[in-house]
Amino acid sequence: MSAIATTAGALREAARDAKRSWTPAAWSAVAGVGLAALVPFVLPGSVRLDGLAETGYLALAAVGLGFAVGIGGMPSIAQGAFVGVGAVCAAHLAGSGWPGPLAALVGAAAAALAGVAVGTAVVRFRPVYVAAATWITTWLVALGLDAFPSVSGGSRGLVVPPQWSTTVHYELALALVALAMLAHRMLSRSSFGFALEASAQRPAAAAALGADAARLRLRAFAGAAAVGGLAGGLAVQLLGVADPSSYGPWLSFQLLVAVFVGGGATALGPTVGVFVLGGLSLVADLFGRLTGSETARFGPMLAALLLLAVLTLGGDGLVPAVARRLRWRGARPEVVAAVTPMGGGSLAARRLGKRFGGLVALDALELDVRPGHVVALIGPNGSGKTTALRLLAGNLQPDAGEVRLDEVDLTAESTSQRVRRGLVRTIQSNAIFPHLTALENAIVGASLRRRYGGALRTLLATPNARHEARATRARALHALRVTGLDHRADDPAGSLTGAEQRLLMVASALATAPRVLLLDEPSAGAAPQDLDRLIGVVQGLTEEGLAVVIVEHNLRLVRSLAEEVVVLDAGKRLAAGRPTDIAANPAVRAAYFGRPR
Amino acid sequence: MELTLQIVVSGLAAGGVYGLVAIGHSLVFRLTGTVYLALGDLIGLGVFTTLLVAAGTGPITQTNVSTGRYAIALAVGVLVCVVAGAGGYLLVVQPFLERRSTLGWVGATLALAFAIHAVIESVFPRSAYVLPDPIPFQRIGEGGYVTVGGASFAVRALYVAAVAFALAGLVAWAIDRTRMGRGLQAIAADPEGALVVGVPLSRLVPLAFGLGGAVAALAAVTAAPSAPVSAETGTLLGVKGLAAALAVRFGPPLYAFAAGALLGLAEAAIANVHFGGFELGPSYSQVIPLALVLVLLAARPAAEALEEVE
Repeated sequence: MSAIATTAGALREAARDAKRSWTPAAWSAVAGVGLAALVPFVLPGSVRLDGLAETGYLALAAVGLGFAVGIGGMPSIAQGAFVGVGAVCAAHLAGSGWPGPLAALVGAAAAALAGVAVGTAVVRFRPVYVAAATWITTWLVALGLDAFPSVSGGSRGLVVPPQWSTTVHYELALALVALAMLAHRMLSRSSFGFALEASAQRPAAAAALGADAARLRLRAFAGAAAVGGLAGGLAVQLLGVADPSSYGPWLSFQLLVAVFVGGGATALGPTVGVFVLGGLSLVADLFGRLTGSETARFGPMLAALLLLAVLTLGGDGLVPAVARRLRWRGARPEVVAAVTPMGGGSLAARRLGKRFGGLVALDALELDVRPGHVVALIGPNGSGKTTALRLLAGNLQPDAGEVRLDEVDLTAESTSQRVRRGLVRTIQSNAIFPHLTALENAIVGASLRRRYGGALRTLLATPNARHEARATRARALHALRVTGLDHRADDPAGSLTGAEQRLLMVASALATAPRVLLLDEPSAGAAPQDLDRLIGVVQGLTEEGLAVVIVEHNLRLVRSLAEEVVVLDAGKRLAAGRPTDIAANPAVRAAYFGRPR
Repeated sequence: MELTLQIVVSGLAAGGVYGLVAIGHSLVFRLTGTVYLALGDLIGLGVFTTLLVAAGTGPITQTNVSTGRYAIALAVGVLVCVVAGAGGYLLVVQPFLERRSTLGWVGATLALAFAIHAVIESVFPRSAYVLPDPIPFQRIGEGGYVTVGGASFAVRALYVAAVAFALAGLVAWAIDRTRMGRGLQAIAADPEGALVVGVPLSRLVPLAFGLGGAVAALAAVTAAPSAPVSAETGTLLGVKGLAAALAVRFGPPLYAFAAGALLGLAEAAIANVHFGGFELGPSYSQVIPLALVLVLLAARPAAEALEEVE
């Protein structure tokens, strides 16, 4: 009884959530899918339904790729290969009597496995390597299918007995494309998507906030491969044959063109791209018939020219270009603000050291920061300040010494583990994610502690995941409010002023709910009035009990904030004490201004 | 044992050409941080231009081309390769480098590849062509085969391997010793610094894109008469060269060349060697080396993986 009540409550809440986030765009999407579903019954005979269904399956594969390319930033040229893996696998199973859906699902699983295998090789690397390795993968599969007729059926292909009518295939393709687009949209607006996109835009900054880029990317890559495999496994059942020569580089190229032309970062983009390509091949056919030449040659030519045109015009696809004109604002779900501060922690460095070859970058650093206090690290350029911060945050492994947070030794832990424990760092450059809004930037930080925020839970919209998403959002908004950026929450971070961008970095770090905050030159390039704002923000944080380590050149900032100043010179601790004492210290003066002769 | 020499020679002939393509890929990567996905098809363009000038588009055999015409054809083919390679850089790589758009150059170089491929296929629509051979290898030994100490090998393959190795040596020398080569090294090390000290960046980089393809095309034309060619020949060379370059992570030219030569040897070995009753055969020779490159990539620690300059 209570289980039923709980379920009913969860469903009522889900309905409320859905109603709140309902927009004109959602109405148009439902209307569009509904109309498309009626096509076979309203226009019988006037359309080639099998062609439409095939295009639908192609669109399914493209939507999957669109997520990996548009959100994950991985230029994969192997989607055609994954379609092929799914197709061949499903063709074998369906040919030996398996039911169609099961065969297609196993095909999708096989493609996902292939995606994990290739993904493992590439996700840790820069996009250049992804492009190179996926291009090789595409050829590997194409050459493999060509070389092993026992697997691929040779030039005759694998024959698949038809199980469903064309209409069923059409409706299935439509439903799956709609679902895939919904999934694309849900994921790209979730903390999973934000963290993935952040990792693609600014890897170092995302890593500093604790995002595990390789894990996120592997999921996106394998997911895209699985969707491609599903599309392939279903398409062979529609066509009645798996033709191995059709899963080559040309298919991978077409899918990539579709993603680029439509815009992979949007849910609708890849589908639009596939239909544009379909229209283009009709034009190519017509052109070929008029000139009396073979039609197959014009398709690739036109596709290549179209892609070059879209890229040269600098667009990120048709759909984003149109969407910018229409500018549908999503309804803002209400935010339950319930943020409990975590309280401050004590950070200690004990004999922390690092060498780069013969150069001693940092030599036996001792550092103590208590809750509610600010310690400033100052020193000339190259004195080891940033090295010290990187060692504390775990971006570098020390050669000697240890880092302790509340007497727990963290020295062996990774950056993301340290961020989870409440030790987070901002980095020197303006490391914001320009294409995400300010709020989404902060959500990247806030999502670190999510337990139910994985891709699958987000897609299933489990009650836990939705509840947690709200809390994450609330924490991110709170961080924006603390830094005085809440009025810019919905603006793209790239449109913020330089000073606001630096504050946004602090906000994203705060959203991870830290106990110790490491700030690397937060005032770099700041105007005087920005400096006051920054000082106010940091003072507010220490009043809440946060411990802060700040690397800074601006002595006004140091004087107004720090209780203790540690001066580094050539990797060594030169002096330490209250700001006023430090200013009068002759050794410090000598290090900064040179020794008097 | 008789087989070993033959495998080594034919493997080095194929691998030498892969190696030169790998040098091109590695050069491009080190200069610009990009992968020139159109490189293979540019090489194909060079090969088919040579064929077009030497013998037209008709179905042909290996004979009936005079040495003079062949020389002109080769020169035109190489020239087209240089111009198309450099033009391709200016058209589809440089604009996106300036915009820092990785997705941009990936898409654009791929589009160029397919465009060139489509052009070649529309001029040469048959599935296979045979390039004329300026040197009558058929008349050497027994139908082009020479037997040394019980082991026989094709003279033509030895010639191709020798040309490829010589070209690789020439490229390595040029990069190390010539003014242009040193300029390229400077750009690879630090583009802005190179510009400051007066290295003509805007001239050298396109030229390197052109020459990288042209040298590989020269080797490909030398190798081409050994087997029928199609529009896909060039594309495949590009892929194999890329795999070799990737295996050494776009290392120095001679490393890339060595990786290519090894790739060729591995293919020949997998296709021909059998231990007792166990043999893999030519089907596997296409698949295993490429798969191995991916495994190699996965096994490597990602030192430069997602690092970004702070």
